Amino acid sequence: MPDILEKVMDAVDVETYLVCKDEEEAERLSVELMEKLGFQDISIVFIQHQGPGARVRVRGYIYKPGDKYSWLFDQRK
Amino acid sequence: MKKKVLLAPLDPVHDIGLKMIKRGLEQNGHDTLLMPPDYSQEEIIKAIVDNDVDVVLISRTLGYGVAEILGKFIDLAEAAGIRDKVKIGIGGMAIRPELAAELGFDAGFGPGTTVEEAVAFVEGREYVPSESGIKQNKKDITQGYDYSFRNKRIEKLLDTIVDGILDYTSNKTSTAILRAELRRQILDSTDESEKQKLRQEYARYCDDVVKSFYEAGKYREKTRPLTKDEVKALRGYVDDVNFRMNPIKLQHTDKNPAVFIQYGTGCPFMDIAHIKSCEAWGADGVVHFDPSWGARTEGFLEGYITHEEDGSIITYENLKSIKESLAPYTLWQVRAHRGLNTPETVLLAGKIGADLTKINIAYGSLSGGTDPSRLTVDAVAAIKYAAEFGMPFDVVTNEELSGVPAFKAFAGMLIVSKLGLRLGGKPILQPLFCYSPEVMINGQMVDNYVDFNAAKIYCLRNIVNAPIWCGAPIGFLTQTEDRVQSSMMTALHASLASSLGVDAISIASSDEAFSKGPITAASRIDTLRATQASFRFFGHADITPTENAKKWAAEMEEGIEKVLEAVAKKGNFVDALYQGLLGSREDGAYPGRAGRNTVISKS
Repeated sequence: MPDILEKVMDAVDVETYLVCKDEEEAERLSVELMEKLGFQDISIVFIQHQGPGARVRVRGYIYKPGDKYSWLFDQRK
Repeated sequence: MKKKVLLAPLDPVHDIGLKMIKRGLEQNGHDTLLMPPDYSQEEIIKAIVDNDVDVVLISRTLGYGVAEILGKFIDLAEAAGIRDKVKIGIGGMAIRPELAAELGFDAGFGPGTTVEEAVAFVEGREYVPSESGIKQNKKDITQGYDYSFRNKRIEKLLDTIVDGILDYTSNKTSTAILRAELRRQILDSTDESEKQKLRQEYARYCDDVVKSFYEAGKYREKTRPLTKDEVKALRGYVDDVNFRMNPIKLQHTDKNPAVFIQYGTGCPFMDIAHIKSCEAWGADGVVHFDPSWGARTEGFLEGYITHEEDGSIITYENLKSIKESLAPYTLWQVRAHRGLNTPETVLLAGKIGADLTKINIAYGSLSGGTDPSRLTVDAVAAIKYAAEFGMPFDVVTNEELSGVPAFKAFAGMLIVSKLGLRLGGKPILQPLFCYSPEVMINGQMVDNYVDFNAAKIYCLRNIVNAPIWCGAPIGFLTQTEDRVQSSMMTALHASLASSLGVDAISIASSDEAFSKGPITAASRIDTLRATQASFRFFGHADITPTENAKKWAAEMEEGIEKVLEAVAKKGNFVDALYQGLLGSREDGAYPGRAGRNTVISKS
């Protein structure tokens, strides 16, 4: 994981508009997008297809509750 | 001292900020001269010289070439011999104080600068932000309410029912009440060997999973103790964050309610991180959510413990670390409205210094899974602790979400509120602002989300002069997974609540409808921002419900009275709960089973 992601409190949301034919394709593309960006723990938060494409919000969790958060230890550096 | 001020937009079109400052300066007795936009640096310098001004305020909105243009302006001012005689400030979207200082201006005002700041600069005094923009004190939600009943018939029925509850519970106790008494002794004792003995006795009254913690140090699955390093790091994190806190104020007018967020990520440290973020973005209060399994488990663990699922475990240490992280102006509520540990929850909250708690027998036993008899006995003890520690408690009506109609849920809320008053407590009414099954089926929200929510507030105000805190969260079941729609629904409900003059609201994050993972800090900020914007939009303007609101309020009040008559006639509140008078199986309410047959007779 790059250091910069350790500064994320919990998750990174990627919001965009995907050109695709239906919601199923949008879901597949959303996951592919996040994987390409290097996220591992991926959730589709919102997806809605209308006409030309889909409005999507996809989340990559960096930390979940109970993990060891790097930012907790970084403050005084 | 009166100043002569030249205001000049060094910009093709933008001069709104300068117009606002001009008005502020004139209100403070200064002479002003505002130049039109699109004048050159040379023309502005000439105007300064010709008018013999004391102060110049330049604005610049466009960022393109800003350093070069402003640098040239200062050079020209020096060449004209006015730099040492005239004070020059620069402001606008493209300006940052560092840039202004670097270029040789006397002051730089970036985005968000107030008129008062500019006036202070002109007058040569230090800017002190107005108090209305700063959080200072905790709001007392119960202030100004005398709990007098306008509906005397309802008051009389409530008194009869409360007499019955106190009579029912007078010779009963439970393991939860015994544990709370032992917990108090553990906390008060300074002798470690005595504490150990008390812990052993405490464990006797607990379920096996808690007993094995005290006897063998075993943790429940999906939980772990936080390490010493993590605890130490948390303290450093909180100290550092507190140092740079400069919280936003959400309220635009005095009538806007206090805004609470709800936390319970599972990890007390992630909770604290979210809480600090929400404090910074304007939350007035925070509500502790415990895990659902905690409500079905007899006894509490000890220590700093994290949890991989929703809801943060209640232990003295977890709560204490959260309390110690809070800003002094942040209201803190610990919920004790359901489950098998309600007296101890309120005791811990009170001992640690919580401001508020949450207790409702009807909700906790009809939709919260706790046996009605057990929760009635425990709740009386819990309310006594709340009264002892001076903690007001809200009486939530989330049984509406199971399908119980509002009038039945309100009857239960009023009974527990009257019980609270009798025991010396300060109850807060908590009607839901939600798209409940009742209205889905009966159609009261086909046209709008306003009328039925307004009816609830009108109805309660008709009955009793008591504080109202809309929950929980407002807009429940109107939000979708789209963060814009979700935030907007929250914000509009917030302004409706404000328009109706309520005292507090609990808001969700924009992740409210998202159930596949933990809520994020960013999604919490979404709804705080939206609520602030909505408060700003409406100001003192009101939202006007249709005539349906008054009509439904009257029907609701009538329904409440009928329910209370039936409960009073039954002669036993607990039997009324079992038999569905305050929410039936047909409605969707089922008397809870956790703790059934565990009430202990004192005799």
